[in-house]
Amino acid sequence: MVAVTPPGSVRGSGAPAPLIASFEAAAGLGRHHPGGAVLRVLNHKVAGKYAGALGGFGVCIICWEIVRGLQLIDPRDLPSVVAIVRTAIRELIGGPLALAVLTSLLAWAPGLLLAAVIGTVMGIALAMLPNLDVASRPILEFLRPIPSVALIPIALLTLGVGIEMQLTMIAFASVWPIVFSVKAGVEGIDPRFQETGRIFGVTKGTGIIRIVIPSMLPSLATGVRTASAIALVLTITVEMLIGRPGIGRYLDEARLNGLVTEMWAAIFVTGIVGYIVNGVMLAAERHLLPWSAENRDQ
Amino acid sequence: MIAETDGAILTVDNISRSYPGAPVPILDGLTFRQKRGEFVAIVGPSGCGKTTLLRCCAALMQPDAGSVLHAGQILSDPPPWLSIVFQDYNRSLFPWLSVKQNVGFGLAHVGKHERDERVAAALRAVRLDHAAELYPWQLSGGMQQRCALARSIVVRPKLLLLDEPFASVDAQTRFDLQDLVMEICRDMSLSTLLVTHDMEEAVFMADKVVVLSTKPARVVDEVAINIPYPRDQLATKETPEFLRLRHQVYTLVRQQIRH
Amino acid sequence: MTNSVQRIRALSLQIMLIAGLLAIWQWAAVTFPGPTLPPLLAVWRSYWRLVQGDLLHTAVLPSLYRLLIGFLIAAVGGALIGLAIGCSRSLDAWSRPVLEYLRYIPAIAILPPALLILGPTDTMRIFVIAFGCIFPVLLAAIDGAKRVEPTFLDTARVNGLGAIARIRRVVLFAAMPSLFAGLRIALGLGLIMMVISELIAADNGIGFFILRSQRLFQSAGVYAGVLVIGTIGWLLTAGLLLVERRVLHWHRGWRGLPVD
Ligand SMILES: Nc1ncnc2c1ncn2[C@@H]1O[C@H](COP(=O)(O)OP(=O)(O)O)[C@@H](O)[C@H]1O
Ligand SMILES: [Mg+2]
Repeated sequence: MVAVTPPGSVRGSGAPAPLIASFEAAAGLGRHHPGGAVLRVLNHKVAGKYAGALGGFGVCIICWEIVRGLQLIDPRDLPSVVAIVRTAIRELIGGPLALAVLTSLLAWAPGLLLAAVIGTVMGIALAMLPNLDVASRPILEFLRPIPSVALIPIALLTLGVGIEMQLTMIAFASVWPIVFSVKAGVEGIDPRFQETGRIFGVTKGTGIIRIVIPSMLPSLATGVRTASAIALVLTITVEMLIGRPGIGRYLDEARLNGLVTEMWAAIFVTGIVGYIVNGVMLAAERHLLPWSAENRDQ
Repeated sequence: MIAETDGAILTVDNISRSYPGAPVPILDGLTFRQKRGEFVAIVGPSGCGKTTLLRCCAALMQPDAGSVLHAGQILSDPPPWLSIVFQDYNRSLFPWLSVKQNVGFGLAHVGKHERDERVAAALRAVRLDHAAELYPWQLSGGMQQRCALARSIVVRPKLLLLDEPFASVDAQTRFDLQDLVMEICRDMSLSTLLVTHDMEEAVFMADKVVVLSTKPARVVDEVAINIPYPRDQLATKETPEFLRLRHQVYTLVRQQIRH
Repeated sequence: MTNSVQRIRALSLQIMLIAGLLAIWQWAAVTFPGPTLPPLLAVWRSYWRLVQGDLLHTAVLPSLYRLLIGFLIAAVGGALIGLAIGCSRSLDAWSRPVLEYLRYIPAIAILPPALLILGPTDTMRIFVIAFGCIFPVLLAAIDGAKRVEPTFLDTARVNGLGAIARIRRVVLFAAMPSLFAGLRIALGLGLIMMVISELIAADNGIGFFILRSQRLFQSAGVYAGVLVIGTIGWLLTAGLLLVERRVLHWHRGWRGLPVD
C-alpha cells in the first residue's frame, strides 16, 4: 500500500448537514447587522416549514380520499378523513380512547424506567469489567437479535397475564438499546477525565458517581429515546395479544366489532402520542443535559 | 453584450453575488477577461470569495447581477468543454471508485475501448499509470491531486479551472505539481484559470495575475507577467523580472489585508 | 503470543459462563419439573426438528420467505423513494413533516387495519413486515442523500450528468453507508413484525408454532422456537454484514480502517 492519506474524518464523523451549516453561517453573518436579518431568516425558515407541512399532509389527505373515491379499497374499511378526525376528538375528550392511551402510557413508563435502571447498571458493568464483557459477549450477541415479542409466549408460561408480565416484557425489550448505548458512552469517556479525577483524589467508587455517570448521561438519553419506541410497540403488542387494557386492546376490539372509524382514529392518535413522547424526551434532554451532542447539533 | 469575436473564452462582467441570508455580498462588481490559451491566476486572501467566483465561472452558480460569458454565451450549466479541479481532493475524488474509474468518470458516453485508452493516456500524463487500480484513499495527497487533474483533462477541455489545487500538499510536491500543470496546459493549449492565495505561485505560473480585495471581493488590479515559458522553479524565481513582479503583487495584496 | 493467550482465556471464560448457565437450567428443570422450564434435551430435540426435520417446511421456511420478501420490498422501495426525496429540496420540505409523524406510529398499530383490508393472508403479513422495515430505510436514505459531499455533486454537474445519472452514479454510492445502517435496523424490526404477524394471525410460521406450543403447554417447543428465531436473526444479520463489508469496503478504507 502507498502512503495513507488522512482519513475523510470530516465525513466519517458525520459532518453537519449542509443546510444546517449554511444556515449557521448565514445567521452568523447576520449578527453584525442590527437584529432584523437573523429574525428574517428564522421567519423565512419557519414559514417554509409550515407551508411544507401543510402541503405534505394535504397531499396525503387528498390521496386518501382518492383511494376512497375510486373504491380501490372497500370504502367501509377506509372512512373519510373528516369522520376519523371527528371520531378521534369524540373518543379523546372524556372518551374511552383517552383512557386507553393513559393506561398504555402507565404501563409503558414504568417499564421503560425499569429498563433504564437495569440498562445503566449493565452498561456500566460491561464497560468497566472487561472479563464480564468478554465472557458474556456470545450470549448477548445471540440474545440481542431475538425479537422480544417472541418471548411473550414464554412470559405467559412463567409470569401469567398480569401487569408483572407486561412490565417484564417492556423492560426486556427496551433494555438492549440502553445497555449498548450506555456501554459505548462509558467506553467513550475521555481517559483524561478519569486521570483528572485520580489527580484530585477521586476513588474508583466515587469516580463512577462523579465522573462516569455524568459523562455517559447523553448516551443514556439517546438509548432511552431509541428504547421508548420499542417499549411502545411491546406495550401495544402485549395488550393486543392477551387483552390487557390499553391502546392495543382498543384497536383489536374496534376491529373485531367493526368500529372501523374508531380503529383508524386510534392509530393516528397513537402516532401523535409517539410524536409527543419523543418531543418531550428531546426537550427534557435539552433542558437537563445541555452538553449532549444532540443539543450541540441544533 | 460582448461578441464572440473578441477572442475571450471567459468574460466576467461586473458580477455580484451574495449568499441567502447574508446581507453582505461576497462578490461585488467583479470584472476580468481571459483570452483563449491564456493562463490567468486570481489571488486573494483566504475567505475572500475565490471559490465563489470560480463556481460562477464554472456556471455551477449564477451571479446575482452582471454576467459570465463562456465563449460569448451565458450558460446555466457547465459546458462540456469546461473542467475543474476542486480545492479539496479528499472531497472531490469518489472514494468508491478506483483511480482509473475516477479518471474515466466523465467519459460515460465514450465507448469502452476508447475510454480505456484515454484514461491510460491521462494517467501517463500525470505520471500515475502505476496506481491505476488503487483507490484514492490509498494515495498520498499529491497523487490524489494528480488523479483529480487527470480526471479533468481526460475530457479534453478548452478551459480548465483550478481552485487552490496545491494548497494542501507539502512544498516539494507543490513545486512538482506546478511544473506538471504548466506542462500539461501548454501541451494541450488550454486556457487555464487558477485560483490561489499563494502570490508567488500566481506570478510563477500565470500570464496574468488578477488581484482581489477582501469583503466584498473586487478586482484591485491586473498584473501582466511577461516571463517566457518554460519557466524553472530555481532560475525563473531568481530573475529580477520575477522578483519585481512578485514585489508588485505582494504590495497590492498586503494593502488589501491592511484595510 | 500474549494475544493467543488472551484469546484462550476469553474463550474459556465464555465457555464457562455458558456451561454454568446451562447447568443451572438443567438442574432447575430436573428439580422442579413443570411446564415453565423444560429439560435441555427436550429443547434440543424440538430445535432439531425445526431446523432439520418435518417442521422446517411448515414453521421455518414460510416465516423466512415472508420476512425476506417484505424486507426486500422495504429495502428497494425505501431506498428509491428516500434517495429521490433527499435529492430534492422541495420534495423534502413537503414529505419531512409527514414522515416525522408517520415514523412515530408504532408499526404494530398497522396490524388491525391490514388484517381488516387484506385478511389473514400472506400478502397481509408481507405488507406488515415491509411497513415495519421501510421507515428506517427511508429515513436513512434521505439522510444519506442530503449529506452527500457538495463537491461530489458539483463534479457530477461539471461532467454533464443529469438528475437520474447523478442519483445512480453518485448519490446512491455516497448514501450507501447510511443506507446500510438503516437496513440493519430494518432487519431487526422486520423480525419483530414477522413474529407479531404470526402470533396474531397465521396458520403456519415460527410465531404460530411458538404460540401453539405455548397453548399446548409444550414449553420445549416454545423455547426451541425462540432459539430458531434467534438463529434466523443471527444468520440474516451476519449475511447483511457480509454484504455490507463487500459493498462498503471502500468506505472502511476511506475512513482509515483496515480493509480485508
Ligand atoms: N454556502 C454558503 N452560505 C453562506 N456563506 C458562504 C457559503 N459558502 C461560502 N460562504 C462565505 O463566503 C465567503 C467566501 O467563501 P469562499 O468563496 O469559499 O472563499 P475562498 O475560496 O476565497 O476561501 C466566506 O466568508 C464564507 O463564509
Ligand atoms: Mg476556496
